[in-house]
Amino acid sequence: MRAMLDKLYVIGGVLGALFLFGIFLIVLLQVGANLIDFISSALTGHAIGLTIPSYAEIAGFMLAGASFLSLPYALRHGTHIRVNLFIQRLGAKGQQLTDIWSFLIGTALTGWLAYYAWELVLESYEYGDLSTGLIAVPIWIPQVSLALGTTLMSVSMLDGFVSSLMQKDFFIKAENADLGVE
Amino acid sequence: MSDILLPAFIILIVLFTLLGSGVWVGISLLAVAAIAMEVFTTSQTGPLMASTIWGASNLWSLAALPLFIWMGDILFRSRLSDDMFEGLQPWMGNLPGKLLHINIIGCGIFAAVSGSSAATAATIGKISIPELKRRGYDEKMILGTLAGSATLGLLIPPSIILIVYGVATEQSIARLFVAGVGPGIMLVVMFMAYVAIWSFLNKHKMPETAESFSWKQRFHSIKNLGPVVLLIAGVIGSIYMGIASPTDAAAVGVFLSLCLTKLTGDLTKESFIDGILSATRTSCMIAFILAGAAFLTTAMGFTGIPASLASWIGQMGLSQYQLLGALTLFFIVMGCFLDGISVVVLTTAVILPMIETAGIDPLWFGIFIVIVVEMSQITPPVGFNLFVIQSLSGRNILVVAKAALPFFLILIGAVGAITVFPEIVTWLPNNMN
Amino acid sequence: KDVWNMPTPYPDGNFHTVNIKTFADDVRTATNGELDIKIHSAGSLVKHPEIKNAVRKGLVPIGEFFLSRLSNENPVFGIDSIPFLATNYADAERLWNASRPLIEKQLQKQRLKVLFSVPWPPQGLYTKNEVKSLEDLKGVKMRAYNALTERLARLSGAVPTQVEVPDIPQAFATGQVDAMITSPSTGANSKAWDFVSNFVDVQAWIPKNIVVVNQKAYDKLSDSAKSAIDAAAKAAQTRGWEASQAETAAKIKILQDNGMKVSTPTAELLNGLKKAGSEMTADWAKESGADGQEILATYNK
Ligand code: NA
Ligand code: NA
Repeated sequence: MRAMLDKLYVIGGVLGALFLFGIFLIVLLQVGANLIDFISSALTGHAIGLTIPSYAEIAGFMLAGASFLSLPYALRHGTHIRVNLFIQRLGAKGQQLTDIWSFLIGTALTGWLAYYAWELVLESYEYGDLSTGLIAVPIWIPQVSLALGTTLMSVSMLDGFVSSLMQKDFFIKAENADLGVE
Repeated sequence: MSDILLPAFIILIVLFTLLGSGVWVGISLLAVAAIAMEVFTTSQTGPLMASTIWGASNLWSLAALPLFIWMGDILFRSRLSDDMFEGLQPWMGNLPGKLLHINIIGCGIFAAVSGSSAATAATIGKISIPELKRRGYDEKMILGTLAGSATLGLLIPPSIILIVYGVATEQSIARLFVAGVGPGIMLVVMFMAYVAIWSFLNKHKMPETAESFSWKQRFHSIKNLGPVVLLIAGVIGSIYMGIASPTDAAAVGVFLSLCLTKLTGDLTKESFIDGILSATRTSCMIAFILAGAAFLTTAMGFTGIPASLASWIGQMGLSQYQLLGALTLFFIVMGCFLDGISVVVLTTAVILPMIETAGIDPLWFGIFIVIVVEMSQITPPVGFNLFVIQSLSGRNILVVAKAALPFFLILIGAVGAITVFPEIVTWLPNNMN
Repeated sequence: KDVWNMPTPYPDGNFHTVNIKTFADDVRTATNGELDIKIHSAGSLVKHPEIKNAVRKGLVPIGEFFLSRLSNENPVFGIDSIPFLATNYADAERLWNASRPLIEKQLQKQRLKVLFSVPWPPQGLYTKNEVKSLEDLKGVKMRAYNALTERLARLSGAVPTQVEVPDIPQAFATGQVDAMITSPSTGANSKAWDFVSNFVDVQAWIPKNIVVVNQKAYDKLSDSAKSAIDAAAKAAQTRGWEASQAETAAKIKILQDNGMKVSTPTAELLNGLKKAGSEMTADWAKESGADGQEILATYNK
């Protein structure tokens, strides 16, 4: 179970990273096209007019993918920040209690959000909502990343809740450990 | 008034309880917003939450944020960041404050590329925090200078918040951008002066370095600076050549960083994967907080609390200076709990008429509001620079906030300065063309 | 007492928002405060891209948006943005009357009831260099933000360039774009003289904003409130069309007062552009099928 869940989070993280790479790629292609136009107008006096259609809108959709799909992966790595000034002063028992409480709220809230995110996807699908740019993208497709990401997030929150009930450490390591800063 | 104060008070209590008990910042913001919607409005909370979060997270204007974070991650994993500090050492080693100025100058330059203070803090901080710590600089000053000067991302053009203000108030965005330049430079100078004075008074807290550097050493060090100068020139150059918008420029930055690290031999398959995964985690964390903040903004819009508080100030019949004082206080208090852009979005419709009635130039007011919003980035409990720096340094946001306090006070000083000498803001735009 | 939150995309000073505020006042007065429409301008409550769906879902009962945003969903929504189909207010009004039943039918499918629609001033051409003939547009980088503007740029020999609204000033300053088509309102409000020097009043098309109400929310109103809202909507439409014409003159004057070279298009330029326009009208008629042809037939009668 542990291994399977971890795999799930890593897949989400990798998908998120691929979307980030996708943003990079599509924007870079457009900049490359602009550069060719820049050179062409310097040489011939005419731009060719190369465009990646709807690149800004599509980059925005990929941003949603990058942000939501990696939510549980970031949670497992302890990247999501919390104010730990007070809980650090509690003993182990107290920290366990605040973890249980935080994961409980997290599970409920992200689960609630995930439910309505799926409803949003369904509604966009039923009405056939389309994006407004040069390429008409069915909006439900990028919206799936919100629904899927928040669903995975609530699974990982529940995972954390169970882990802290069983007094197991949910977080892999402190995010800053690799910075050489305590 | 009392019908607003009680809900506001309850919302604050809930927010403090959630944050204080260790609930993640993004989740706390979502929860407070949901509770405010459920208790104080008759709206459909769940569907609004989903649709607001969707609307706030697929934005082109935010796409630069993860790219810049990734750029920081690439540089951090390479020799370039170390080279840059070695290269700057001979140039800055004689200044009182030495390399501490790097955060300020670095953020000032980076702010000319990036429109957000979170991206500025994340990119510069990823490199400068470990490098400065390794060289034995005082941690409080490292965190403080970073938190304070990263706010320049908002004031020095391009700036997301000036665009939001310009659109909401029908001011020329081009003029607002130009107006931000003077105060931006002024703040850089004020921050540097503070660092110089502090290090003069706290010599024992400064690391030992060679006392003086010869010009020969300086010129020798230029080869260390070359790659970074090339990177900055490439990113800024792509904008001014007209081949990249400010958002596009982030991709140029990533591309150039990858090329440079390939050349220095720092780019391996492992470092590439490490870098992009780390950037994904950090930017997803920030995006989730932004999503929470967006929903809290919507919830506040439905409850009408910020607008009511603002109009309450409007009804007090204040003079020009009293009004500005009251608004500064109002924005500082609001800025503790909402992110800066939300405060602008929620209150400009109410505040702008007051400003115009009082005979205050809306262009000047845009810059005033940005400086006040800059303060909100470094005030707890909700301050984006604090969040970013907590995640970079592992230090609690209250520790970071304490380190940033002097810079908060300098920002207040800057508000005073532009109030007394409005020409700092208006001279450049009025002499445009 | 009912309070209706109404999101609108444009700021308080915009003539559309001013008109809607009067509409809300009218409704409040006519219903003795029973129905209180609270305006949240400039996307402060719901951002422009989400307004239509927010009303559809009943998250807010009423809202305003730019109609031809929806042209990807159904070509009928884009009829007011076909270049050179209706270029003066009289034609635009006839086109609106001809298209209204079908637009209402399409929006009804999304549980949206149309209250009124108010036009923007006719779209003009903003350029860095003077444009006297179609030849002058050749190779000029023109801002495109949807399929229609992209097509128009290509057909007139310009190079379509995608630039997002906030990037416009910088894009002009750095030579990323040299031309854009927008209304005198938008030009004056964004102080276009800071980055372009020529305005050619080509009057390419007259796009509209539309105000819709959620059908369920409307049905729940008392009969007196319904008739109050209908009457106020009717008045708002008339007032809005007049305000739009006044706005056109006022905003062109502002462009002029700020040193922009305002000109009427030469016959050569206009003919060239109109040729592109009729090609696009023909394409649109094909794309929109029976609905579109019905509208065009009524309009051309
Ligand atoms: Na900036
Ligand atoms: Na704050």
